[in-house]
Formats: sequence, C-alpha cells, structure tokens
Amino acid sequence: MTAQRAYRRLWLALLALLVAVGVTYAISFRILGGGSNLDEFVAAMTAVPDYQNVLLVNALVGISVALFIYELRWNAVRVVATVAIALALGYLMTAIFNLDNANRFTRGEFRVAIESDAEPVENDDVELEYGQRRGDEFNRAGVAEPLRQAEYRFEGRAGDEVTVLAYAANRRSLVNLQASLIGPDGETLASATSATEAQLDAYDDLVSERDAVIENVTLPADGIYTISVSPEPLPGDLIVSETLAATNQAYEAFLLGPLGRVNRWAVWIQDALSLILVGLAIVIVFRARQFSLGAEGQIYLGALAAGVVVLNTSALPGILLIPLALLSAMVVGFLWGLVPGALKAYLGANELVATLMLNSVAIRFFDLVLTYQLKPANVGYVVSENFPDHSVLPVIVGGTQVTVAVFLVILAVIAVWLLITRTPLGYEIRMIGANIRFADYGGVNTRRTIMLAMAVSGAIAGLVGAHLSMGIHRMLILNISVGLAFEGVVVALLARNNPLVVPFTGLLYAYLRAGAQFMERDANVSFEVVRIIQAVIILLITAEAFITFFRRRRSPRRDTVLRGQGPEQQMLEVTTPAAEEKASV
Amino acid sequence: MFESVVQGIFSAAFLAAMLRVATPILLPSLGALLSDRAGVINIGLEGMMLGSAFTGVIVSAYSLQWLGPETGAALGPWLGLLAGVAVAVLMALLLGFFHLRLKADLILSGIALNILGSAATVAIMYELTGDRGNTSNLRSLVVPFIQLPSFINDIPIVGPFIYGVFNNQSVMTWVAFLSVGVVWYVLYRTPFGMHLRAAGENPAAAESVGIRVVRTRYMALVLSGVFAGLGGIHMSMGYLNLFQRDMTAGRGFIALAVPLLGGNHPIGTGLASLVFGFFDALAIRIGSLQIPSQVPQMIPYIATVMALVIYALQARQTLRVRALRAAEGENFNAPRWRAIQRLSVLHVFLAMIAVIGLIVSANLLAAPNAFGGPDSANPLAAGIGVISIILIAASAPFIARVERTASHALLSAAVSTLSLAVYLGLFLALFFEVGVALAIGAILGAAVWLVLGGRRLIQRDQRLAPATS
Repeated sequence: MTAQRAYRRLWLALLALLVAVGVTYAISFRILGGGSNLDEFVAAMTAVPDYQNVLLVNALVGISVALFIYELRWNAVRVVATVAIALALGYLMTAIFNLDNANRFTRGEFRVAIESDAEPVENDDVELEYGQRRGDEFNRAGVAEPLRQAEYRFEGRAGDEVTVLAYAANRRSLVNLQASLIGPDGETLASATSATEAQLDAYDDLVSERDAVIENVTLPADGIYTISVSPEPLPGDLIVSETLAATNQAYEAFLLGPLGRVNRWAVWIQDALSLILVGLAIVIVFRARQFSLGAEGQIYLGALAAGVVVLNTSALPGILLIPLALLSAMVVGFLWGLVPGALKAYLGANELVATLMLNSVAIRFFDLVLTYQLKPANVGYVVSENFPDHSVLPVIVGGTQVTVAVFLVILAVIAVWLLITRTPLGYEIRMIGANIRFADYGGVNTRRTIMLAMAVSGAIAGLVGAHLSMGIHRMLILNISVGLAFEGVVVALLARNNPLVVPFTGLLYAYLRAGAQFMERDANVSFEVVRIIQAVIILLITAEAFITFFRRRRSPRRDTVLRGQGPEQQMLEVTTPAAEEKASV
Repeated sequence: MFESVVQGIFSAAFLAAMLRVATPILLPSLGALLSDRAGVINIGLEGMMLGSAFTGVIVSAYSLQWLGPETGAALGPWLGLLAGVAVAVLMALLLGFFHLRLKADLILSGIALNILGSAATVAIMYELTGDRGNTSNLRSLVVPFIQLPSFINDIPIVGPFIYGVFNNQSVMTWVAFLSVGVVWYVLYRTPFGMHLRAAGENPAAAESVGIRVVRTRYMALVLSGVFAGLGGIHMSMGYLNLFQRDMTAGRGFIALAVPLLGGNHPIGTGLASLVFGFFDALAIRIGSLQIPSQVPQMIPYIATVMALVIYALQARQTLRVRALRAAEGENFNAPRWRAIQRLSVLHVFLAMIAVIGLIVSANLLAAPNAFGGPDSANPLAAGIGVISIILIAASAPFIARVERTASHALLSAAVSTLSLAVYLGLFLALFFEVGVALAIGAILGAAVWLVLGGRRLIQRDQRLAPATS
C-alpha cells in the first residue's frame, strides 16, 4: 500500500516536473525572442540584458507550477476549472461591452459630391450644384440629437447625366453609406449601397467599397432633385462578427499580453511578488479562520515606516539601511496587526469590520504624514522625495522593477510554510482553524494564538508595503496600494490556504491583472473586468456544493440548515466564525 | 476656532446635516440588523449600495433622455429608485443563493459581492461615459426634497429651529427614519418577524417547529438588500447628484457595527446611527477649519471600532450578570447590577474618548507641520497624550472587572468625575474661565455618575456595611 502510494507520488512528481520544465521553456521562449531553431533562440536570448536572471525567475515560475500540481493534486484541476469558468464569464462580459463595436460603421464624417459634364444650374436656394461637394458627420458621439440622415438638393435639367458619390471624408471615418437620388416628384430614381473596384479606380474621392456610387443617371425632367444619404443599417451577423472580433482581440491582449517583451513580463512578475506576499499574509489569518482584511492598512503603514527610515537614515550604507527599513516595516505591520488581533481575541470584536475600519484610519494617517511631513515643499503633487539609489531594493533584471524581492518572497514562502506546519504556533493556528472549541479544550491559548496570527500576518503585509515603496515606486505616493488585501483573498483561496501553492496562485492572479492592464491599453476594455472575474472566482471557489448542486437538486432538502452546520461545512478550510461567536456570546 | 465648532454644533443647520449624513448609515444599518437577526449577516451591503447608487443614476439619466425632459424629470427619480433597489435585491438573492443553496461561506461571498459592486459599477461607467471616476458628464436626477409648510417657521421660539432642521430634507431621510418604526413593527409584531428572530437565534429549533428557515433567511437578505438599495439611492440621488467610484466609502461596513451599538434593536439602531451621523457631520464641520481633513475623517471609523468594543464588552457583562442571576437566584439584586452595567458603559465610553485623544496625539507627533510646526504641535501632543494615558489607565481597572465599580464605588466616582471634568471642562472653557469650567465639568461629571447608578451603589454600600461586619 505504502509502496503503491510512493509510486503514485513519484509519478505525480515527475508529471509536475515535466509541466514545470515546459512552462519555463514556453515563457522564456516567448519573452526572450523566440526564433525558429535552438541556435536562433539562444542568440536572441543572450542579446537581452540580464537574461540569466530572467531565466532564473522563469525557472521559479516553473517550480511554482510544479508545487501547485504536487500539493493540490486533483484540486488543481478544480482551481483551473474555476478560473476557466470565471474567464469565460469575463469573456461574455467583454463581449457585451463590445456590442457597440459594429456601430463604428454607422458613424463618422462623410462627403456627398455630384458630378456631371453638363453646365451647372445656378440656384442659391439649394445646397449643391454640379462639381460641388458637401459633408457632415453621422451619429457623432456625445451629441443630444445625432445626425442620422442627410439630404442635399440640386437643380437639374432634363437630359443631364449625373453621377452621385457618397464617401467617407477621411481614413478615420469607417461609415458605411447608402445614397439615393430622388426626383422632383418625390420618386426615387436610383439608389446605391456600395462601390465597385472599377468605380474606386475611376473616382479618386472614394475610399472603400463601403462608399456609395450612383453612376450615370439621366435626369428625366427639370427641377429640384434630392440626394438622401444615411448610414446603412447594420445586419445582425455583422454585429455578431464585429463583437466577437473585438472581444477576441481584447482577450488576446488579456491572456497573452504579459508574455510580450521583457518589460511586459516584468509588469507581471513585480505585481506577482506583491500578491504572493499578501496572499501569504492572508493565508495565516485564514488558517486560523479569522476574516481579517487588515493587510491593506498594514501595507500602508509598512510602506510609511520603510519610507521614513530610508529618508531619515540615508547616511547608512545600503547593506544596513535596506534590512533596517524592511525590518521596521515588518515591526509596524506586526503592531498594527496586533490591534485588531487583541480586539478580536480579548474582546470578541468582529475582526472583519474592525480591520476594514482600521485600514481607513491607517490610510488617512499615511496621507496626513505624506502630505504634510514628507512632501518636499517645491513639488506640486503629493509624493515623497525619491529614495536614494543605495536604499532601493537592488534590481536583478535591468530596466524593470524586478528586484531582489524575488529572494525575499522565496524566503517568506518557506518561512510561512515552516511556521504553519512545523512550529507550535502554526499547530495552534491550524487547531483553531479546524475547531476553536476543541483547541480551547485541548489547552491551546486560543486568544494569544489568534492575536499572534493576526500580528504575524501583519508583519508580512508590512513587508509588502516595503516592497511597494522600496522596490516598485521608489518613493511614497498616495494610494500606494489599491485594494491589495482583496486580491490577497483570491490568492489565498485559490491556493486553498496552502503556503506552498500561494506562489502559483499569486503568479496566476498577477498574470490576469497584468493582462487586464494590457487589455485596457490595447483594446480599451476596462481594467475592472479582472476585478469582476475576481469576485466570480471567490464565489465559485467557496461554493463547495457547486459541483454537487445539480445532483442535490433532485434529493429532498428538508434538513438543509442542520446539514449546513454539520461536517459538510468543515470540508472548507475557511468557514465562518460567526456561528461560534453566536454560541459563545 | 473652537468657538465656531461649538456654535456650529448647536445650530439647526448642523442637526439638519446630521440627519442628512445619518441617512446613508441608518438605511443599510436596518438591513444589517434584519440580516443579523436572521443569522445571515450581510457583509455585502457595501457592494449592494454601490450597485443601487450607480443603477439609480444611470436609469434616471437615461429616462430623462428617453422620456423627454418633462415626463423624464417627473418619473426618472422613481424609476431610478426602483431599478436601484431591484439591483440591490438581485445581489442579495445572489448572496442568498450562494450561501444558502451552494453552501458558500457567507463572509467570503459577501466580500465577493463587495468587489463585484465596486468593480462592475466602474467598468460599466467607463463603458457608458468614458470616465472611470464619476458620472458628472451624465445629467442625472435626484429624489425630491420635502418642503415643510411655512407656518411651522412662524411658531414662536421652537418654530424656526424645527423648520431649519426638518425643512428641505430628502425623501430618503424621511423614509429612513420612518423605516425604524416599520422594522420594529415587522420584527416584534408580525409572525414573520418572530420567525426571522427564531431563525437567527436557533435555526435547528426553529426548523423543528416548522419554520422554513432557509426561506426566512432569503427574505431577511432580500429585505436587507432593499434597505442597502435605498441607502445607495440616497448617496447618489439625494446626498450627491452623481455617482462616484466607491462613493459609499465604507458605510456598508460601518452599518454592520451600528446595530451592535444599538443593542440589536431597531430603535437603538436608529439612535446609534444618529451618533454616527453626529461624528460624520462633526468631521465635515471640523474639516472646514484649519485642521488637515485626514484627522476628522478618521473619526467615523474610530467610532465604529469603538462601537464594536463597547458591544463586545456589554455582551460579555450581560453573560456574566445572567450567570450571576442564575447562581444567586432570589438574592440577585437586579437594580444594583443594572447600575453597575450602566456605570461600566460610562467607563468604557470615557476610556474610548481618551483613545481618540491618543490618536490625535499620535497624529500631532507624526506630522507636526500639519498643525503649525513642531514648536506648537509637540507640547500639545505631549499634553493630550499624557492626559489621555492617565484617563485610560484610571478607567482600565473598572473595564477589566465590572465588580470593581461596586466594590470601589468612590474610586469609580472619582475617575468618572475627573474624566468628565476634563472633557466637559475643555468644552466649557470656551464660555468660562478655565478654573470655573473645570469646576462645572466636575460637578456635571459627578452628577452624571450619580444619575447613571452611582447613587444606588453608595446607598447599597452603606446598608450592606453593617450587615457584612
């Protein structure tokens, strides 16, 4: 039995390793320049500065993938499926946002021209005469009553042969036109919706076959003729195909954007470093079943502490200054985590509300100190001075903000893993997470443990703040973190609160965030789409019964409530402490 | 500077502002109360408020475009209100579906809904207006403001004051305060309210007597969604006339703490939301002075944490008193314990005000330049800090063990008197000499202590003394 299990484990490890090598190679191949054979690839790769370190980071990405597979086994499939469902929903949403994409064929500037070899008739009451052109713009954006149809009149004589052109005024205008010529008696003489290749060659004004040409009409009588121009109505299949094309383009930017050149890759990696650390911070509190979102405030105060240390003791050499700044950020984060920890542990104050409120207090405090104390007087906007060069985290890939924080993150992952699985505190945290009353009964000092769990989590969140200020921005700015704590929740939940899986889920989620940035830049789809995907992921990953839902529908549901408090809820490693609170109050 | 604050507080305009800013806290608080009493605490209030605030603005703006200026202006606000509340209810149903049907964790689902509300509003706003900050380039409507008949202004003495407070308030403000009564009636005078409370207190027992707990909880979530929706509508179509990203600024979370401060009772919730309205309005008022806006902006959040702490301490003491009552049986002296409990709340409250003092002191120390340079800020910070620490230390023993309030009644009286003398004295120093102000503060402090229950403790001590010896 054990031999069989070890055998299976070996296969799993081999599979994980194989995937890891594949992922490392694929990423490196794409961002370091490709080529059709290995020699070309090596040549392109060695041209990139610091390519060794890029390879190193990619190898770490591969290791994260391997750990993800090895640690979660079948649950890995579930995580991937959840993300895939969320992405599919995001695709649907992006498609809805792009539904108006086909509308570009109904708006834009246009011109109408009438040409004839006959002598023009002078008439000041009409808009056109032979050889002249007039124009306007259809469906201009932001106008109360946009132009939907335009009419131009000209005076003609019986027997004149005229040609009517309706065309887009410039290259930017994609309007698809239709034109008709209406006689003096109101009867439509001719109409057109497109231009042929030959016509495009014959008339220089025409831009594309979307323009309309009414060629060589002989006028039947003297009188005022009317040219009516409007955008062609959109056919349904065009709307669909245009929407899908735009959505596919957006999603391509979303899903492949971070694997562009090294600078795009770096956006992904440096964001992942922050997210992995926040994820670790959240894992610690979630393991103790504390819904603390205090990471946000701790990030701000950690950044502030690091910034104050760096700016005030810049005389120290970097080798002392950087560890000092990191340490002070961790200490401040620890202390700020201790506050809600103590309130929860000793007073039973709801930690979710308390931490959210303390976040607001910490952010106001950060703003206050930055605005009035750290901002140099001669700077127009609210930032601190640039950190001195020797005090920022050393960069390992030139031209990016991928710094030695990579190694800090590795250390942090190992430290949190050791803390949770190999130390008494971690044991107590896990016991509280599994069953707080049993832990209490078994002699665990639950209050102290809860408080310490929230404080240690705060220390890691403080480190995130130091990374943001000393690694990414290299100064203090307002809004240095925008809701990172919530991103951490997704990272921790996807990792099923396993610190060894956090690197993968952090990378995965950072990949989506970076992709969303490129999608916004390249395809003009709001970045917030990724936060909607985030919400969907949280809902799906916590809905344990999601898979069995359809099966359960058929069975009678008499005792749902009782079941809800039974062992099923324990399956989830993170469950509400509300029930316990209710019981203990 | 402080004179203007004080005068401002006692003006009708300030009370009117208080009602206005209490509304978007009171409405979701009633939602939080209902969901909490049903045992399904609705963490998603914030997201629901955002969803409804945004929908209201969009629907009212488009109804203006589609229905024309006249019918649009007349119907738009109500269509916006309906649509906004509908969105909030849908989100509540989603939460209910995921929690009650799919067994998703209630708190995490709530967090997800908040993210959804925050993100979806910004994404759709960007699609519709091209702006990701606010909807200022979209002309939207506000719900009507109720004008009082002008004869109220003519009533002698109180007339102008009442008129000043209640005139020109949004419909939503009236709805909010009337809802307190409605919620009270529903909770305590209807079968549904009884089922709701039962489902919250002991779902298994409720189920066993035939109450359909899941359905009741769905209903509670839907009702909390309605109230969150109304609160959101007030934010964007009453309090302001546009939607800003994340404009609720944590009110949905503050609302979770308000019922706790109000003893989980509708009327208490109404009063507690007025307390928050007071702090909010005060923050706005102080913000117009020469103080950095960040400091007053912290106050509502600190007040929320204080509310959590006071509730937690109260809950614990109630448990102990209940245990004592069970143990002592006939001998249990209920009035005496009520007095002790009231006094312990006083001690907690006094210590909490001192905590605000500590935070202000920390702000002064951290950013002296914001308060007129280190020379004036540092001594002020030190003074406030030391006094705050002394007052906290003095109150701490009575918070740690409530019995000390009785066993050391005179000490408790001294601490309360001292604290109140400081707080009230600082306040009264605006009108009198410092010494006189402190004296009046001390007298008032002693009076408060006696009225809250000290009188009874002293009497009890005197009567018990010979018996125990």
